[in-house]
Amino acid sequence: MLALARKVNESIIINGNVEVTILEIKGDQIKVGVNAPKSVPIYRKELYAQIQKSNEEAVRTAGPEVLSKLLHPSPDAPKPV
Amino acid sequence: MLVRTKYFGEVDLPEEKILEFERGLIGLGDYKKFTLLHDCEKEETNIQWFQCIEEPSLALPVIRPWLVMDDYNPVVEDELLRGLGELNDDNLVILVTMTVPSDVENMTVNLKAPLVINSDTKKGVQIIAENEEYEVKYRVYDILKQKKED
Repeated sequence: MLALARKVNESIIINGNVEVTILEIKGDQIKVGVNAPKSVPIYRKELYAQIQKSNEEAVRTAGPEVLSKLLHPSPDAPKPV
Repeated sequence: MLVRTKYFGEVDLPEEKILEFERGLIGLGDYKKFTLLHDCEKEETNIQWFQCIEEPSLALPVIRPWLVMDDYNPVVEDELLRGLGELNDDNLVILVTMTVPSDVENMTVNLKAPLVINSDTKKGVQIIAENEEYEVKYRVYDILKQKKED
């Protein structure tokens, strides 16, 4: 990983069109500003990781047999009373 | 073209059925070509399989979100959809991925990260919706069971 030391109000430029600025440092929290084209998706890593995990779980999910039973009434299933 | 699939063996797929996801799926690597399959033997099916063309083992069950939430309306920055071409009511397809653990009552859909597809250009993207209230693991077992009984 590339590590760069930055002070408040200093920035780094990524790929010529993304600017990341250190806005504020307070204790163990750092406020970071990102200036990027709107076409560049920017997410908190926790959220991104959650979605990645969800995608992986969807891939590992049960096959069509199980799912179709879940979503489609089988003709001989007992009717709810 | 002949495509190997996870659940349906080898399928002869017309070129126009191939969907291009330039950014791939979030966290699932660099695969960009997918297609939607469903089980032909079921007369009416709600589940489709989002099958990767480049990697047969990669297939995710997807459903139309309105099946589980009437007023589903994900919000996203327009720029993120620009690559798909112009979207309208007729060509816009929105799907959500489904996760079914061994205990099926815990099945969920991911309302936070829907697949958005332009059925005219065959281009799609997985977005992360800005809607705070949309959950990554939205429990749907009871909702689907209710629909089944109606």
